[in-house]
Amino acid sequence: MGRLSDRAAFEQYAAKARARWDRLWSGDQWVISVGISGCSIAKGALETYRHLSLHLSEGHIPFVLRQVGCAGWCFAEPFVEVKLPGHPPIVYGWMTTDRVPELLDALRRGDLRPDWALGVRAAEAWEGIPPVIEHPFLRRQRRLLLEHAGIIDPESIEDYIAIGGYRAFLKALFEMTPEEVIAEVKASNLRGRGGAGFPTGIKWESGRRTPARPKYVVVNSHEGEPNVFKDRRLLESNPHLVLEGLLIGCYALETPYGYNYIGGEHALALQRFQRAVEQAYELGLLGDDILGSGFSCHVRVRTGGGAYICGEGSALMYAIMGQRGQPRTKPPRSVEEGLWRRPTVLNNTETFASIPAIIQNGGSWYASLGTKESAGTKLVTMQGPVKYLGVAEIEFGLSMRELVFEVFGGLREGYHFKGIQTGGVSAGPLREDELDVPIDFEALTPLGAMVGSGGFVAFDESVCAVDFARYLVAFSRYESCGKCTPCRLGTPALVEILDRIRHGFGRPEDLDIIQYASKHIIELSLCGLGQVAPMPLLGMLERFRDEFIEHITERRCRAGVCPIAAREPLGVGG
Amino acid sequence: MEERKTARREVDLQPLRRILGERYRPRDHQEAQELVVGACQEAQHLYGWVPPQAAQLIAEHLGVTINRVYGLLTFYADFRTEPPGEHFLWLCHGAACYVAGSQKVVDALRTEYCLGEDGTTPDGLLTVHVFNGCLGACDLAPVAQLDHHEYIGQLDVDRLRELVEELRTRRVAGGNDGTLE
Repeated sequence: MGRLSDRAAFEQYAAKARARWDRLWSGDQWVISVGISGCSIAKGALETYRHLSLHLSEGHIPFVLRQVGCAGWCFAEPFVEVKLPGHPPIVYGWMTTDRVPELLDALRRGDLRPDWALGVRAAEAWEGIPPVIEHPFLRRQRRLLLEHAGIIDPESIEDYIAIGGYRAFLKALFEMTPEEVIAEVKASNLRGRGGAGFPTGIKWESGRRTPARPKYVVVNSHEGEPNVFKDRRLLESNPHLVLEGLLIGCYALETPYGYNYIGGEHALALQRFQRAVEQAYELGLLGDDILGSGFSCHVRVRTGGGAYICGEGSALMYAIMGQRGQPRTKPPRSVEEGLWRRPTVLNNTETFASIPAIIQNGGSWYASLGTKESAGTKLVTMQGPVKYLGVAEIEFGLSMRELVFEVFGGLREGYHFKGIQTGGVSAGPLREDELDVPIDFEALTPLGAMVGSGGFVAFDESVCAVDFARYLVAFSRYESCGKCTPCRLGTPALVEILDRIRHGFGRPEDLDIIQYASKHIIELSLCGLGQVAPMPLLGMLERFRDEFIEHITERRCRAGVCPIAAREPLGVGG
Repeated sequence: MEERKTARREVDLQPLRRILGERYRPRDHQEAQELVVGACQEAQHLYGWVPPQAAQLIAEHLGVTINRVYGLLTFYADFRTEPPGEHFLWLCHGAACYVAGSQKVVDALRTEYCLGEDGTTPDGLLTVHVFNGCLGACDLAPVAQLDHHEYIGQLDVDRLRELVEELRTRRVAGGNDGTLE
């Protein structure tokens, strides 16, 4: 397939792709899809794939074996979806290699193994298997970005176009002016998904207004936080969606230069996005004079080398420029002077992935989702001993309680809920009695919590608040770039105090020193990392103050985690 | 230790030269600068670390100074400027792993196996990189990745000891088995 010359050629290609897609699902062959993504590979999905391939080729049944991305249910990986002729697709979880022959034998006998099924991908139940959308994990989700994750082959542009991909880009390109695109994005009330929640439309507009050229549009797929893995799953499952959002962004800014900066450790996400870019070039959706419209766009992929700070906008731009990724003071803002000192619009992966649906369905449709202040959906990841661990997509406005106990199923048996860490390493935790707060950009702030990039960690009684606070601050200490003093020296000071407490040498005045030092770091640090570094500690201290005091006065760690617990009891005041 | 120093002297730059020639052809100096980190990653992928000769080659190929290359190699945590041990263990220390007890594993590694500053055991068997981000396999927490492909889930101190013993046995039995070359 060569480059498509114009819109009609694209329509032709899309019609063919759709017909092929429909034939795939209505044919007489077995269609077996295996979810291959970072989390499922770790749990042996590649072996499952190989075994399936082996066992299927031994039989005499016509089959198609496909790879798909991740559908968010990490807890059920590796998953396999089976579509038999005359049946709707059935999703099976926990398909390790030992189960493969058993499943295939059962299916050949006509036994659908409802006990292994997560659900059937249809609106109605099928032979006793309920629809997968009624699974507790999915029931409360609203999937826009993940709609086709785990269904299409992420390495096939044809699959993406078959399910309606690149239509939004074509709509923008041929039917809208760049101003109209920005107006829709503004009307959608889409806010940056990287954590800060800055309105995307306003950012794009200021980028557009700045006269200097060339301009750059950058996707931030760095994702270096220790408790979030949403962007890489999105890139692994539907890379073209992000690319389409980026293309629309470039069109709105009327610039031919797009970038995606992907964390170097996300190998599969990187590989699949690069593949997506290659395919788009081959098909003529990237390059010069796209579909004869006169608009050109080139996308370059750059990788990071494992420094959390490079997720910060200005640091990321220095990193792309091949310098040490250290932030700089603002102003000038990056929409005025960013990459190569030119106007640069930088948004999170998830933000760009939200764009195609906004262009397709209109800004006001998107604004009607979620809450008034925080429109749309949000990808969230939950870690810790929860029942349904994975990536979920929820509408803003869902309460924290619903998120923890319904979507993610609450804690597994034998674990007693203690709290939930919010906002990555940038905010404090919530206790169980505070969980009725709705999830949006504003509601969590008074509680010292934050949606941030959507990474939550549920923790149980086996986790010590002092030790957890130390872990979170130690992360910021390690990742501090060292450019400004309050952060470079302040975070180690906090860790030192916490270590003193953990070892049983804490003093009552230490808690005041923590407050005092934190205030300095928050107020005087240069960039976002430093300004929020003490937040988890302050949150922990506020929520679990009695635990801190217990460590100091009684020399006791109730979770039995801190070094204090392993020491000979000193006795009070000893 | 001697062996590792020998490894430092003998580095076959041919594969790196080929990759740079094929895929790292900047149009201008601006793009050349953008490609430095990527080129270093290729080198690290090939050799398991970035040998000085490779850094020099990258600097010459992209027309930047060697200082620039080292500035980046020492800033970004992923890069190694010392040869790693025979095996490489990526130990995830993300929040999910922490909550599941990875701190104990990290502590045990430091105290029981006398890891040097570069994370390598004195006998050169194993290099451990404690990864502060998230490996994204949280369902297996605490999780580690051995030699870039094999995942070990639900890791605890006992399982770690077993693993190190296993690597030692393999080394005695199979000589050079599993080196990065």
